[in-house]
Amino acid sequence: MDSLVMAERVSRSFPLDHSEVRALNEVNLQVATGEFLAIAGPSGSGKTTLLNLIGCIDSPTSGRILLDGRDTSRLTRKQTAELRRQRIGFVFQSFNLIPVFTALENVEYPLLLCEMSAKERRKRAAEALECVGLSPRAAQRPDLLSGGERQRVAVARAIVHRPALVLADEPTANLDTQNATQLIDLMRELNRNLGLTFIFSTHDQRLLEHTPRIVRLCDGRVVSDSTVGTPGDVQAAMKGDGHEQVLAACLS
Amino acid sequence: MSKFLLLAFRNVFRNRRRTVMTLVMVAGGVAGLLLAGGYFRSMTDGLRENTIRNGLGHIQIFNAEHFQRDEIRVLDTGIDDWRQASTRVSSIAHVRGVAPRIEFYGMVSNGQKSSVYMGSAVDPNAERSLGFTPNLIEGRDLDQSGEEVGALIGKGLARSMNAKVGDGLTLLAVTSDGALNGIDVQVAGIVQTGAAELDARYMRIPLVSAQRLLQSNRVTNLVVGLDSTSNTDRVYRELVPRLAGLPQRLELRKWIDLATYYKQVRNMFDGIFLFMGVIVFFMVLMSSVNTLLMSMFERTREIGSMLAMGTPHFWIVAMFMAEAGVLGLFGAVIGVLVGNLAGSLINWLDFRLPPPPGFTVGIPFHVVHVPAIMIGASLLVIVSLILASTLPALRASRLRITEALAHV
Repeated sequence: MDSLVMAERVSRSFPLDHSEVRALNEVNLQVATGEFLAIAGPSGSGKTTLLNLIGCIDSPTSGRILLDGRDTSRLTRKQTAELRRQRIGFVFQSFNLIPVFTALENVEYPLLLCEMSAKERRKRAAEALECVGLSPRAAQRPDLLSGGERQRVAVARAIVHRPALVLADEPTANLDTQNATQLIDLMRELNRNLGLTFIFSTHDQRLLEHTPRIVRLCDGRVVSDSTVGTPGDVQAAMKGDGHEQVLAACLS
Repeated sequence: MSKFLLLAFRNVFRNRRRTVMTLVMVAGGVAGLLLAGGYFRSMTDGLRENTIRNGLGHIQIFNAEHFQRDEIRVLDTGIDDWRQASTRVSSIAHVRGVAPRIEFYGMVSNGQKSSVYMGSAVDPNAERSLGFTPNLIEGRDLDQSGEEVGALIGKGLARSMNAKVGDGLTLLAVTSDGALNGIDVQVAGIVQTGAAELDARYMRIPLVSAQRLLQSNRVTNLVVGLDSTSNTDRVYRELVPRLAGLPQRLELRKWIDLATYYKQVRNMFDGIFLFMGVIVFFMVLMSSVNTLLMSMFERTREIGSMLAMGTPHFWIVAMFMAEAGVLGLFGAVIGVLVGNLAGSLINWLDFRLPPPPGFTVGIPFHVVHVPAIMIGASLLVIVSLILASTLPALRASRLRITEALAHV
């Protein structure tokens, strides 16, 4: 399969007082088109930092990230904005919907940036809302939607412009278990039906049962990268080397 | 673009209390400017019409030489064939009448005492038809029908000459060919001009009497009265070619060129109004910067997610500026409504300010509704708000996306 994302020895450090905190350390990762991948790990392991780098909203301190074969570190600010606009969809932990827009208008927003006609925008936004099962709530503003509904609107917003890659940073962190499972199932369904590549981060082990590929981070390093086919395989992977490696890395 | 403007519009009303506070401030500034500007305009309009009706007229016609050299003898640079010029002027639309005048000076005597006077000779009927009536405190206006030569004298001159209405005086003046001449006049009335220096020298006699005294058929100038001050420029443009064919080259002056005191007062009011405008501008600017910055900080994560989705930075800047513009527009509309309503209420209540020094009647507190001030004040607050939004707008557009998304 074609490689959509490639991270090569990527490191990211943040200054803290007079020292430095290394959030990512020499991370290598390759993600093929159409994959459904979870980045797992405890808090502070570097999940968000890695997603930010892949999503071109942050730059690595060293190493490089290739998206569609393009070295993102060589792009100008304008070019990265354009790349994000066209090729990447984002789902945020706190939904981050525009509160003064209705659900439909929120989904329309990425198409607004693509300067699409109003008619086409509305049609595609309605289709995206249909995909996530929220057509009846299209005219509601976010404050009248439940947490699960808001996150589904956020997913619709992330996929409406048919991006190559959808990045979801802890998308289930503010949801109860039932809504969280439904959301991951929805994302998986979109991944299968539309062929969209999904990369999401989570520290909720239960959600990983639905995930065919799990990359585990600890202290900024990839400690395991396991591909499993069924939920049983995931459980096995969790019980097996990967989980032990995580524990070992964290303890060390 | 319409969606984008819709976003800006809705953002304005996100925090209603803060928006209302800003609107009150902006609308208050606009209304204040409207009331102050409207009052100043009423004052200057009143002064303008008073100045014109006190004898200045709308346009004055002179011999062109009047502006090129000083007179060696009286009426040396006067108008010869003023009747023909007057006929030509009178035939133009919007002209109510033409009043010939002679300005002269000399000595006045009551047989015991002499004093200097500054004379003005007029055609009483023409003056009256134009509404140029002197401020008589005693006696009556000039009349050309009587056998006696009537004269109006200033209050100060009357006191110094110990003259009363009906008393006889002798006027002496140097004629146009340099000889000394004199006529007897009878005091018809006593005038108060408002200026003590002028009252001490004021003398007004009929035109024909002055021409006899000065031995000349000339006049110093012709004063043209119009039906409305707003027609001054139009009539001026028509008059120039109409007077071009006369044997003597004549020159015209509009009232504004001759009304020095009016211009000084108007400049003073303009200065005060400008100062008030500057205060309102900075008041709106300073307080709005804080409000808009608060709004920006509250929306940091939202702006971060918009930037993450690929929103161009200038869109963020434009969004904040559009929000400020919408806020300014609303404030301006409310301010114009409130200002006009308050102005109408003040006019209806017919307030009067205490009389200023030298006046016996209070000045009416009247507010004129001036469209130019409404537009100007509205633009002022809109520009001020848009300027105030540049700082938060630029800060928002320069946010680091990762930090903005992590903002709590």
